[in-house]
Amino acid sequence: MRKRLCGIGMICVLAGMVATAPAAMAGPTERYLHVKVEDASKGESVNVNVPLSMAEKILPTINKGDMHNGHVKIGHADMDDVDIRALLDAVRAAPDNEFVTVKEKDQDVRVAKSNGNLVVHVRDGNKGGQKVDITVPMKVVDALLSTAKDNELDVSAAIKALSDAGDSLLVTVEDASQHVRIWVDSKGSQE
Amino acid sequence: MILFGKVALGVVGTAVAGVGLLCSEGLVEVKVVERQPQVHHVYVIAPAMLASIAVHFAPQKDLSHAAAEIRPWMPTIRAALDQLRETDDMTLVEVKEPGEHVRVAKEGGSIVVDVEDKDDTVHVSTPIRAISSTMEQLAAAGPSL
Repeated sequence: MRKRLCGIGMICVLAGMVATAPAAMAGPTERYLHVKVEDASKGESVNVNVPLSMAEKILPTINKGDMHNGHVKIGHADMDDVDIRALLDAVRAAPDNEFVTVKEKDQDVRVAKSNGNLVVHVRDGNKGGQKVDITVPMKVVDALLSTAKDNELDVSAAIKALSDAGDSLLVTVEDASQHVRIWVDSKGSQE
Repeated sequence: MILFGKVALGVVGTAVAGVGLLCSEGLVEVKVVERQPQVHHVYVIAPAMLASIAVHFAPQKDLSHAAAEIRPWMPTIRAALDQLRETDDMTLVEVKEPGEHVRVAKEGGSIVVDVEDKDDTVHVSTPIRAISSTMEQLAAAGPSL
């Protein structure tokens, strides 16, 4: 009886291993960065699809201008003396909150941290005005700041973090005729 | 008679080996359909290795400028082509305008470019392996810096 139970137990363990082996052996799911630009008034559209693993491998090979080894230098002069690193670091450390709310007659700007994402909303109240929504996972912000140098952002690490962050809609820009979408998912096509 | 058979076998074997070697990097396929003023069809399939051979035999002085330009970008080109080889088949870029459609895709180990407008339809398919070896040949051409 004991032998039979042992045999059944072994078969169950083996069956479990066989069932889970393909998932365990499969590598991490490939993620793709998609960019879609549509202009309804002209009937034009541009679609770009890039595997994030490709971007991750290519970026460190580009050494030109402010880009080197997957890092990008940010000059303080270019940022009007705003310390972008300190700013992002402060946002990272802060709890979920609305940081900036600007309401004007024609424009509405909101910057917040929500559910582990940095969220920026801009609404232009004019007729046909732009609507901009940007959502960046905080893990990506962390990765951007992971470099030791103060005046550098680690774009390569940010791409890797984006790849690990799962499906997400990063940017949408809409106006009267144009529609821009940038998102990450595990589908190679935009259908 | 046996001697003739051996010679024939040698010739056929050499020809098959030559064709195999020539086609080892795959085939470049070009298809053009011109619709205006008259309909013309052009369809060419050529061994992709011819491109690397052409670069090898091209005058070095004519290639040195291109070689100097491309050399600093070779690590990027290598990384891009290696990753393209590994990635699944997909559309990389697609542009649609009224009357025009351009598509660049990776299909079965090749980069495929399709362009369609009201006058012409062009389809070019080039194996990634061939692009890679041609780029390496081009970068190696001319004096080293």
